[in-house]
Amino acid sequence: MENKMGYNASFAEEVFRNVDSGDEIKMCMNCGVCAASCPLREHMDYPPRQIFSLIRAGKREEVLGSQSIMLCTSCYTCVVKCPRSIPVMDVMHGLAHYALKKGYTPRIEAARFGKEFWNQVYRRGRVDERDLAQRAYFAGGFWEGVKKILEFADVGIKLVLHRRMKLIPEKKIKGISTLRKMLDKAEMLDKGRSVQ
Amino acid sequence: MDKKTAVYICTGCGIGDALNVEQLLEEGTEEFTIDVSKDHPCLCGVEGVEVIKKDIADEGINTVIIGACSYRVNYDVFNFGPDVIVERVNLREQVAWVMPPEDENTQELAEDNLRMGCSKAKDTQLPEPFKAEEEYSKDVLVVGGGIAGMTAALETAKAGYKAILVEKEDKLGGFLGKMKQSVTMPYKELADTGAAEMIAAVEAEEKIKVYTSSTVEKISGGPGIFSVDIKNNGNAVNERAGAVVQATGWVPYDANKLDHLGYGKFKDVITNVEMEEMAAAGKITRPSDGSPVKNVLFIQCAGSRDPEHLPYCSSVCCLVSMKQATYVKEQDPEAVNYVLYKDVRTVGQAEDFYRKAQQDGNIFIRGAATEVGEAGGKLFVEADDELLGENVKIEDLDLVVLAVGMVPASKPAVTPRIKAPADAENADEEGMIEVLPDSGFFANSALNLAYRQGPELPTLKYGFPDSHFICFPYETRRTGIYSAGCVKRPMETAKALDDAAGAAMKAVQCSELTAVGKAVHPRSGDMTYPEFNMNRCTQCKRCTEECPFGAINEDEKANPLPNPTRCRRCGVCMGACPERIISFKNYSVGMIGNMIKSVNVPEEDEEKPRVICLICENDALPALDMAGIKRMKWSPYVRFVQMRCLGSMNLVWIADSLSRGIDGILLMGCRHGDDYQCHFVKGSELANTRLSKVSETLDRLALESERVKFVEVGITDYEKIPKIIDDFMETIEEVGPNPYKGW
Amino acid sequence: MKYFLYWGCSLEASGANFLVSLKPSCEALGMEFLEIEDWNCCGASVSYAGAGDLAIKVANARNLAIAEAEGGYDVVAPCSSCYIQMIKVNHEIKEDPDLLEQVNVCLAEGGLKYRGNLNVRHIQDVLYNDIGVDKIKERVIKPLSGLKVAGYVGCQSVRPYGEYDSVNKPVVQDRLLEALGAEAVPFPNKIKCCGSGLFVPEMDYCMELVKNILEDALNHGAKLISTVCPMCAMNLEIYQNRINDHYGTHFDVPIVYLTQLMAIAFGMDMKKHAALNYNLIPPEGVIHAAIG
Repeated sequence: MENKMGYNASFAEEVFRNVDSGDEIKMCMNCGVCAASCPLREHMDYPPRQIFSLIRAGKREEVLGSQSIMLCTSCYTCVVKCPRSIPVMDVMHGLAHYALKKGYTPRIEAARFGKEFWNQVYRRGRVDERDLAQRAYFAGGFWEGVKKILEFADVGIKLVLHRRMKLIPEKKIKGISTLRKMLDKAEMLDKGRSVQ
Repeated sequence: MDKKTAVYICTGCGIGDALNVEQLLEEGTEEFTIDVSKDHPCLCGVEGVEVIKKDIADEGINTVIIGACSYRVNYDVFNFGPDVIVERVNLREQVAWVMPPEDENTQELAEDNLRMGCSKAKDTQLPEPFKAEEEYSKDVLVVGGGIAGMTAALETAKAGYKAILVEKEDKLGGFLGKMKQSVTMPYKELADTGAAEMIAAVEAEEKIKVYTSSTVEKISGGPGIFSVDIKNNGNAVNERAGAVVQATGWVPYDANKLDHLGYGKFKDVITNVEMEEMAAAGKITRPSDGSPVKNVLFIQCAGSRDPEHLPYCSSVCCLVSMKQATYVKEQDPEAVNYVLYKDVRTVGQAEDFYRKAQQDGNIFIRGAATEVGEAGGKLFVEADDELLGENVKIEDLDLVVLAVGMVPASKPAVTPRIKAPADAENADEEGMIEVLPDSGFFANSALNLAYRQGPELPTLKYGFPDSHFICFPYETRRTGIYSAGCVKRPMETAKALDDAAGAAMKAVQCSELTAVGKAVHPRSGDMTYPEFNMNRCTQCKRCTEECPFGAINEDEKANPLPNPTRCRRCGVCMGACPERIISFKNYSVGMIGNMIKSVNVPEEDEEKPRVICLICENDALPALDMAGIKRMKWSPYVRFVQMRCLGSMNLVWIADSLSRGIDGILLMGCRHGDDYQCHFVKGSELANTRLSKVSETLDRLALESERVKFVEVGITDYEKIPKIIDDFMETIEEVGPNPYKGW
Repeated sequence: MKYFLYWGCSLEASGANFLVSLKPSCEALGMEFLEIEDWNCCGASVSYAGAGDLAIKVANARNLAIAEAEGGYDVVAPCSSCYIQMIKVNHEIKEDPDLLEQVNVCLAEGGLKYRGNLNVRHIQDVLYNDIGVDKIKERVIKPLSGLKVAGYVGCQSVRPYGEYDSVNKPVVQDRLLEALGAEAVPFPNKIKCCGSGLFVPEMDYCMELVKNILEDALNHGAKLISTVCPMCAMNLEIYQNRINDHYGTHFDVPIVYLTQLMAIAFGMDMKKHAALNYNLIPPEGVIHAAIG
């Protein structure tokens, strides 16, 4: 059988229902302004416009496994420029979140960094930059962590010297347990939506 | 008319500073009988106008020559009623504002301009409006009872006039009546078509006489005096009308020619019109087995924007497919619609419905279908997806809808062939030739005009009977006959409503103007008309063939039979006539010839060349004015002579000028060809053709061909005018002075 | 004028010079700051990797709910990331009442409720619209005349809502710099992205972005770059060595917060108030060269 990609509306439907801001892509008219305005467009395998086309075409693997969805710097330029007022950035974040949830790890370091960031919020209520960096570095294993630490040692030392990095770990906020309850509830509502 | 002539020179706007007015009044009027000559510092002011009015009242002045600004301004100020001839001489835009002040050449230019004005005023007569022998009708005949036709009839009635509505089917409504729902203003949701209400309104309107199951068998006469033979259910009826609106609509492009898209091969491949009929009948199902429809694919531009089929965009099909996709979703919210498109063209506010269609989750795929096939009882479509850059396959389809475009209903299914003229090149073995699209024969018989130049409206492109739609919306190339709706160009319902209302208003205007002997657009209000001195006619048929508006019929002996109410007063016939027997009261071959003769030609040793520029008043002359307003500079040796249309240019003027020692002739006319801008359709093209024969004249006089030049000037080309003139002057300098000077 | 100051995590660490200079310089203009009791992190722009959209919104709504209950003054967020996360919740719940309800279902777990009555403001917004350039000019003791500054706006302080400045051609920071007596040089890269939170994990791609911004500022004659975002300040400042190594460039451009320049112009202490000793690339040289 020839290697022809079949259009399949079910992935589009999956995205509309389950991905944060996913239904916004319905309004895309393929002008490409998002791609043209993106600071990291050159490094993307599929620029946003094409991601949207792939969703419509039903290319699940290509979309959820793409590098692009993890390469958003959150600069909001595409959001401002989109003539159809699609929050392109939110869609990309939504897709990245969904892809990671489904076990795809296209840009492993960005994923670890983001996950650890949220981890800090959830565990402590606040982010400790030093702890964040350390944990993100070591998320890939001990030796990789050591390598990274050494690589960024100069930056760390300078920041400490200029009183911009605390050596004492940040404390938990007082209401951490209620914060966690709130966040758990939010994730539960989110899951509930996905199951619908 | 016993003429008493006055000349007034305005010295305002810099004219007085640039010219010696005393000398101008003396030199410029020397050869003419002038009863009063005056100058005034502000002629267009209350006082200035009062001076003229007083002379008219006290001195019995009936011919006024005004040397001031362009005739295109202050025409209302210098209007002294129907009994006073007014001739405007341009001393401002063409002289004071563009030439060096107090200069000999500037002075001579002004004097020549004044001489030409005096000459023209001398030869001009007061117009006597045409009055037909028959009684005038102001009723409007509307052919076609769809949305456009019904609207035209209703708008006519609302304006207080009677309409006669002829529809070939047994009931009114046209395509509107066959639709399930429509998408129109404000383009948010589906709406009722409104057909039933509109039909009821037409039928209830006393001022509208409806003929269904009827056809127009013959239309003779002209605006104001149309005689219309109608066949109504087999009976012959005659009606009289002042003007006609053709609203015969459209037919879908023949999908049988689209077998590459599976039409005719697979029962479940249907056209958008068939889809609409199915939806209107109640339920959308698979035509092959009547089973429900889950997956639908619309192929946009099916045959449209395709040089092999319909080269143009019909502008409505995108919206129609979105509407039909909505029907599918309303019937089954789980159904999936794919729309395979080249470009989505939902113009203006219709974009809102595109947004709705996207919001509904319809899937738009940009690309072209490469194959439509069947597998396992379902259809599939393969397409080149432009955005993914690969060939894709959409399977499991229940229905494929071809969005076919609109063909004007006037276009015949088969291109007609007629007996070829003797010198035709493309005739077949039987001596027949294919009819050109704009010949007037290229149409189904909707109007059956008893016109020498063919029974139907000439078409412009793709079989649409249109004129220059930017300059003259609604106009066709038959005076008093206006096209409206999709027969003119593809349009959706909201635009058809506007279009039909506009056409009805033009029709009413035409009957009113015709009844008082006035011309319609673009010389609206003109009361002159071409008069034929039949004694000298040689039956050469040039006038009957060349009239762009089919105004002149012929008898069996080829004598021209003018129909003045059909005339647009362009003067093309006057330019065509080799015997110079056609003239207007204020525009004739002799009159223009005399103007040119009034231009002083300096002796060769003075080294002052003279060029006559015959300039079209519609685009080139306003552009020249604009160049003047912008204070651009050009040669002072050119004398501009205003033409109604360059098509009225008679070769004798060129011959006469050159034999008097004029060094060159420049002709400025409108763009011609496919994207013509000629206000009389063919005028500038005809002038150009005639010019090809000017070489005989030049050869006879042993003059260089470079002395005569035709240039196309558009209304926005003002900035090019100085260069056009300077380039020509350079050419004239190169070829040297005309040896006939001083003969 | 009372405001809640939501300074966020960065201003306690890598962006400390922002907070240290902001308080005295703004208080000198009559602003009074309250802290949101027991505030939590906004989640910034990278949390989507670990959290759903709703959870991030709830985290921000918690801070807003506390502030609303504690007096409802406008919340001023100096950090662009905090600002955008908070104002986004505010915008979206206004358009979507269902979202507000959902958020409140979650907040109820901690006995909180947000009514949506708060205004979230950026520090530039407050300085420009509440205080005004005239009042700032009055307070200037040492005008920064002759100091050529590239006012780097970045992304999230104006995009996407454009609450107080144009999203395409922002002018507020330049007007504020001019009020301090400095010369704001034209600077096309002023709203180009620095890489934000993606800089660390995607350094190879993001270094070019920072390089372009630095280059553009210098090409337009700037001697230093001012910013209002701790992320921008960090990306622009601490990786200059790395960029020099990678591209063979010689960047050594001081990056300062707008509030540091305010403290200097208001004649305050260079260390204690302007916090210049926090900067990795010392700006004192160019500042003294310009204003003596």
